Amino acid sequence: MLRELDPLLHSQLRLAVVSILMSLDEADFVYLRKKTESTAGNLSVQLDKLSAAGYISTERVIEGKKTRTLCRMTSKGKQAFEDYVDALKVYLNVKK
Amino acid sequence: MEEKNIDEKESLELISQMIQSTKEYMEIGSGNHFIYWGYFTAALSIVIYSVFQLTGWKSCGFLWLLMFVFWIFMEVLNHRKRPTVMTYINKVIDHVWYAMGSMFIVTFAVILCIGFIYGRYNSLDLMMPLSAIYVGIGVAITGIIIQNKWIAYLPFVGIGLGLYMLTALYLNILPNISWHLMFGLSFIIMMAIPGHILKRKENKAC
Repeated sequence: MLRELDPLLHSQLRLAVVSILMSLDEADFVYLRKKTESTAGNLSVQLDKLSAAGYISTERVIEGKKTRTLCRMTSKGKQAFEDYVDALKVYLNVKK
Repeated sequence: MEEKNIDEKESLELISQMIQSTKEYMEIGSGNHFIYWGYFTAALSIVIYSVFQLTGWKSCGFLWLLMFVFWIFMEVLNHRKRPTVMTYINKVIDHVWYAMGSMFIVTFAVILCIGFIYGRYNSLDLMMPLSAIYVGIGVAITGIIIQNKWIAYLPFVGIGLGLYMLTALYLNILPNISWHLMFGLSFIIMMAIPGHILKRKENKAC
C-alpha cells in the first residue's frame, strides 16, 4: 500500500525550504527568500507552518538595529523529509 | 515559489535543484580573518623590529602580547555578525581554529607557569616558533577541508620557519631580532595570501 505523501512537505515552497535546510546546518530568512525566490510574507507563513509542525526551529537574533531569523531542521523534520523522499521513490517506481 | 501542489517527479526535481543551489554558494567567511591576522602580525613584527632598532630594548618581544588584544577585538567583531548560512564545513573549520586557539592558550599558560616557577622567562622564546607551527597547521587543515592546494601548502613556509626556530633554540642558538621580521613575513605568506585567495573565491562564487 502506498504511503500518503506528507501534505506539509508536498508543497513547492515548503519542500524547497526543507531541501535547503537539509543541506545546511543553518540558514537565515534572507538567504531562504533569495534561494526560493519567494515573497517575504509567503515565506514567513510557510516557515511558521513548518515550525508549528516541529520540522524546523527558528531563532531570532538581534544584530545592531536589525533582527535576523535563523532556521534549522529539527530531528523530527529530518526524519519527515527522509520518509517523504522514501515515499516519493515508491510512488515513482509504481508509476513506471 | 508559492504554496502550490506539485507532483512526485516535480518534488524530486525540486529537491535536487535546491540541494545543488546550496553547494554553488559556500560562505567560507574566513578570508577576511586570515587577511586581518596576516597583516596585523606582519605590521606588529615591523613595529617590534623598529622599537628594538630605535631603543635597543631587549624585551621588546613582550609587545607580541598585543596579539591577545587583537584576538579579543576579532572575537567581538565575530560575535556581532553571524554568517548568513552555516554549513557542516564552516562548523568543522571553526572547530579546527577553536582547537588551535586552545593549544595556543595552553602553551602560553604552561610556559608562563614554568617561567614563574623557575624565575626565568626566556622559555617565552618558544612561543614564536610554536605559534608559527600552530597557525600553519590550522591554515593547512583549512586548505585541505576546502580543497584548495595553495591554502593547504603555503602554510608549510610558516611550519618550516617554526621548526627552524625550535631547532635553533634547542641547539642554544639565541634568537635575534630578525626572527621577528621572519615571523611577520611568514604570516603574510601563510595567512594574508591565503586570505586573498579565499576572498577572490568568495567574490567569484557570489
